[in-house]
Amino acid sequence: MLEEINHLALIGSLMQQMCVYLVIAYLLSKTPLFAPLMQVTVRLPGKLVCYLVFSGFCVMGTYLGFQIEGAIANTRAIGAVLGGLLGGPIVGLAVGLTGGLHRYSLGGFTDAACAVSTTVEGLIGGGLHLYLLHRHRADRLLSPMIALGTTLCAELMQMLIILLMARPFDQAARLVAHIALPMMLTNAVGAALFMRLILDRRETLEKYSIAFSAKALRIAERSVGVLMQGFDERNCSRMAKVIQEETGVGAVAITDCEKLLGFVGVGAEHHLPGTPIASAHTRHAIDHNEVVYADGATVPYCCSVTKDCKLGSCLVIPLRGEENRVFGTIKLYEPKRKLFSSLNRTLGEGIARLLSNQVLAGRIEEQKRLLAQSEIKLLQAQINPHFLFNALNTLAAVIRRDPEAARQLVQYLSTFFRKSLKRIGNEATLGDEIEHVDAYLHIELARFADRLDVQFAVPNDLLPLRLPAFSLQPIVENAIKYGISQMLDAGTIRISAQRQAGVLTIVVEDSAGLYQPTPGGDGLGMNLVDRRIKIRYGAAYGIAVSCEPDCWTRVAIRLPVEEELAPC
Amino acid sequence: MLTALIIDDEAPSREELKALLAATPDVEVLGECANAIEGLSAIHRLRPDVVFLDIQMPRLSGLEMVSMIDASALPQIVFVTAYDEHALQAFEEHAADYLLKPIDPQRLARTLDWLRSGVRHSPRAFPGSTEKLRQIPCFGRNRIFLLALDEVEFVHTDIAGVQVVGDKRQGTTELSLKILQERTSLIRCHRQFLVNLDQIAEIELLDNGAAEIITRSGRRVPVSRRHLREMKDRLLIA
Repeated sequence: MLEEINHLALIGSLMQQMCVYLVIAYLLSKTPLFAPLMQVTVRLPGKLVCYLVFSGFCVMGTYLGFQIEGAIANTRAIGAVLGGLLGGPIVGLAVGLTGGLHRYSLGGFTDAACAVSTTVEGLIGGGLHLYLLHRHRADRLLSPMIALGTTLCAELMQMLIILLMARPFDQAARLVAHIALPMMLTNAVGAALFMRLILDRRETLEKYSIAFSAKALRIAERSVGVLMQGFDERNCSRMAKVIQEETGVGAVAITDCEKLLGFVGVGAEHHLPGTPIASAHTRHAIDHNEVVYADGATVPYCCSVTKDCKLGSCLVIPLRGEENRVFGTIKLYEPKRKLFSSLNRTLGEGIARLLSNQVLAGRIEEQKRLLAQSEIKLLQAQINPHFLFNALNTLAAVIRRDPEAARQLVQYLSTFFRKSLKRIGNEATLGDEIEHVDAYLHIELARFADRLDVQFAVPNDLLPLRLPAFSLQPIVENAIKYGISQMLDAGTIRISAQRQAGVLTIVVEDSAGLYQPTPGGDGLGMNLVDRRIKIRYGAAYGIAVSCEPDCWTRVAIRLPVEEELAPC
Repeated sequence: MLTALIIDDEAPSREELKALLAATPDVEVLGECANAIEGLSAIHRLRPDVVFLDIQMPRLSGLEMVSMIDASALPQIVFVTAYDEHALQAFEEHAADYLLKPIDPQRLARTLDWLRSGVRHSPRAFPGSTEKLRQIPCFGRNRIFLLALDEVEFVHTDIAGVQVVGDKRQGTTELSLKILQERTSLIRCHRQFLVNLDQIAEIELLDNGAAEIITRSGRRVPVSRRHLREMKDRLLIA
């Protein structure tokens, strides 16, 4: 009876001890020290942390234990077993050894037995670690039930070792009879609870990062391309609205380096887009290229526009463009009664990067477009004088011989220039392009007289299809300039078009076969047309040239067209 | 009296210039050509006082053509062009006269005055006249063509003129052996022969100190004693 009571009392006190132990573990779990314990690490720093933490728990377990019959009832096993389980055999051995040697230094008739058994416990944990990794069941390492079972076995092992090593034997037998059950129970339950603690901490973090990624993803998704269209008031207001809705902060503002471009949320009635930047925090963020966080407590925040503003804290993040130069800021606000969540603070910096990249990508895209456009303009300006003076010269001759034919030539010339001078950013129909080329070719026909023959094979139903204006004429001009006009005999230009599976192919073929691929030189006009089509429709489209020397040169323009609806 | 030749690949252009020259009684147009290769031949055949020469023409430009004519046989050249900034610059540097298309009759009259005055430009180097030729303009049977230089085996003179012999085709050229020797990589091997070193298959040494080249296609080309040494040097034969 007396024995029974003693058992219960011992379990009770060991449980109390374990509670203190777990509270300390809980507090520790709030520190970054715990991070490496939450996953199975293979890297040395992680292992080191693992060793230090669990050795600490081992030693603590010994200290928290209490004297009983010249020995110490304790919860040391938890540290050793978990150290081995999470850190592997080497960490387990090291933790066990550390805990064991510490126990040995405290003396008592079980000192040696305890030292050995603690080391063995560490090794058991480590062995299981290896086994589970080998079986690709690393996920089971963090299972509380596994920790419970392992610790139970480890404690059983400890009792056997005490019986084997501690002398005198009868005293050891009495001790074991006394403490075996309480220690096995508390240590096993403690290990399971400790593991549960680690798992909970991990789940919380995961939930946080899931929420974080989900928000970030939604913002990214909803804002795709918005700022690529330009960093102006309209787009910035749209962007601010998306961010405010997704993060749920009090208000969101986007500024450039001079003025507010967009403001959405609390206080929108007095933070008006277009007004100059008034806040000292924003100026600081721009001038020093750094994040400014005014939480309203340690760093005071006060609205720079009006005293009645409900906003109480503010995070200002600079937007960085080329060479890390600041070109604006994004600001997140919370009202006075609300705290800034750390989630939104971290998210803020991510959003700033997203916006910066978008603006940057938009600028690059814009530059590419402008370049292609200005190059085409340059091309028009460059080639026309050649053509113009030759045309005028032809005209002078034709006027003398056949005034009526000359009148017609003037008509073609004006059609040609009217079409050429049209804004080139626009689309045109294939019909327009053919008309342009036709006017051009009529003038060249007069110029080369008997040396040129022209054939068109373009089905009428393709004429309404749309393509970038000024795509066909440069190709035909090339065929004349580098093909027909270089022939000693007469030559033919053949222009055909066909549509297949949503792709329009226009082929310009000359009978000279003199094409020589020289980069930049002869293909200037052609390269530009090719680039423009590729920028617009993708690399699968554009221009392909094939040539049979002295027989033909064939230039094929490929671009996608919308299939018109079948007539009902 | 001035005799003139018009070389221009565009028929309306020739027509216009002919009409303008017809209005000037003391100018006689001897002929007109539609490309520079025909032009070379016509210059040698007709010996005009002045050539009105277009620059941009098929295969062989007006500038290239002028550079292929011996300075001694060179008539007065008046370039005629529609629009060619670079070429204009070149004429100014070389003090040749030029006209812009469409031709202004008064400007043409000034050019003719200057030609009549007989102030002859000293023979000068035209742009491109030091560049190596890559092809030789030739007349074959009923056709004109450009023979690529690496196709040429040898060139020789006979009564008919300068013959260019390639492995597949041959023709007569208006270019002199002297010009060809200066402006191509062909080597003089005989008073009447130039040979392409790349086309030599073997050299047969003869008893009299001369030799005979056998080309890749098996044709025989004589090598005079005078030129054999130089020939050997070029081929690094001791």
